[in-house]
Amino acid sequence: MTEPPRSWRSVLPHLGYELPADRTPDGTDGPVTVGLPLELVRQSVSSREYWPIPEPVAQLYRAWRPAPLWRARRFEAEVGATVPIYAKYEGGNISGSHKFTTALAQAYYYHRAGFRELVTGTGAGQWGSALAAACAAFGMACTVFMVGRSLRDKPYRGSLMRLYGAELHASPSPLTALGRATDERLDNSLAVAIGEAVEYARGDAKRAFCIGSGETYSILHQSLIGLESIDQLAGLGATVDTVVGCVGAGSNFGGVALPFFAAARAGELDVPAALVAAESSASPKLTRGVYAYDHTDATGSGPMEAMYTIGSRYPIPASHSAGLRFHGAAKLISAMRHHGQISATAVGQREALSAGRAFATTELVLPAPESGHALAAAARIASGREPGHTPRHGVLVCVSGHGLLDLPAYDKLLAGLPEDRPADPEALRAATAALPAVSSIEGF
Amino acid sequence: MTDHKRVNGAVKRLLVRESRLSIDPDTVPDDEPLDGELLRVNSLGFLGMLVRLEDELDVTLDDDIFAGRVFTTVADVVDAVLDAAKETT
Repeated sequence: MTEPPRSWRSVLPHLGYELPADRTPDGTDGPVTVGLPLELVRQSVSSREYWPIPEPVAQLYRAWRPAPLWRARRFEAEVGATVPIYAKYEGGNISGSHKFTTALAQAYYYHRAGFRELVTGTGAGQWGSALAAACAAFGMACTVFMVGRSLRDKPYRGSLMRLYGAELHASPSPLTALGRATDERLDNSLAVAIGEAVEYARGDAKRAFCIGSGETYSILHQSLIGLESIDQLAGLGATVDTVVGCVGAGSNFGGVALPFFAAARAGELDVPAALVAAESSASPKLTRGVYAYDHTDATGSGPMEAMYTIGSRYPIPASHSAGLRFHGAAKLISAMRHHGQISATAVGQREALSAGRAFATTELVLPAPESGHALAAAARIASGREPGHTPRHGVLVCVSGHGLLDLPAYDKLLAGLPEDRPADPEALRAATAALPAVSSIEGF
Repeated sequence: MTDHKRVNGAVKRLLVRESRLSIDPDTVPDDEPLDGELLRVNSLGFLGMLVRLEDELDVTLDDDIFAGRVFTTVADVVDAVLDAAKETT
């Protein structure tokens, strides 16, 4: 395979149901404005299956796509796998992660719509780096609010964003009312960083807030990961019956896994694959959250989406440094979880970073800590240690990015990083108690 | 065909539906506020409505007519749709 696919593939026509509509929170009505390119709206709601990739975006994709896929034999041996493990590596671009794939597409559409500055919030910094580089590619300004603790841990993520001309703020920042009102000690919240970005973006009509990973259109753009994988596995004469990706909001998992779902529904695969989302046990929305309408940010002014969530104000432990912080799963991923079309497992940060280290020493690629969660889950599944999963053919795991800018997290592992303590059931209950359940509203 | 009467009728129908009202769309005045006592349309619902409007009128609405623009009344939407339709036909 030498060329990336020419179209993205949507899973929406294959779901068998419509996604629950978003809701506008009470008391936040204002003037009616259009802050999102219509093409991204179309990609989120239309039943069209294939979406041609605009040529300016396709041209940029060719710099690193198709992304490599290989059988990770030494990793298999290290973890005691009884079936083959195939790794799809998404770290080979300037941002170092899969997020560049949708960042380029989004920047293109926003630019075409007339916006000249994109504003976003970022946790570990991968999305911020990706958007900064994408904005530079299309001649746009970029402002990033990065989770403060994460920026202190990963200063070179900030350097990368600044290198591409982005204006960078540690969140909570003094720049916004939300930041000023937030206790400085709450510097580990992606919901606050996103909330600051939402507030800041309102200040100029040519400026737009760009949420990044969890939206349905982001997952569509990431379908390239799975589409390429299907072709590459066929080229190797290989079959997988399990696909694993990590979940912050869900674009990496959705990108690698959902094309397998669409292909199976369309009768294109001989063996359907179980789709397994690997999340952080510090932010266990899919395994311990509730299916409810929740805010995507901490200001509460953005739309409420139907999602598996632990609550936008749930405090992620300060000791957590392995990414995947977001409090909710994308509404597409959440709906598929609700309908039993995907499954999920939670991984602690020590296990994730240990799996990342094992992959680095065996396959000579240093994975991002986020990818370590997927690798840990894949290792469990391929070696028969994950209840409910007994693959017979093989496991595909997406290595969502490289960890070269995440070395402090690996330093902590080497220094004896403690495992995350499981989320406190009472804190989870408190953070979600007031959220309206999806089923009670939609009959979903 | 995207003449004023057809666009006006389609916009009002969709605004009434978006506001979850059961009234005759033709009774909605052109200067009715989008988010007022009668119509209850927010930015989020408006985006979905524009995409449905494309299907209804069989046009593709260019983003640059809409992005960053503030819409206050029914007539604002009709004018923007006519502008956008002109660009694409």
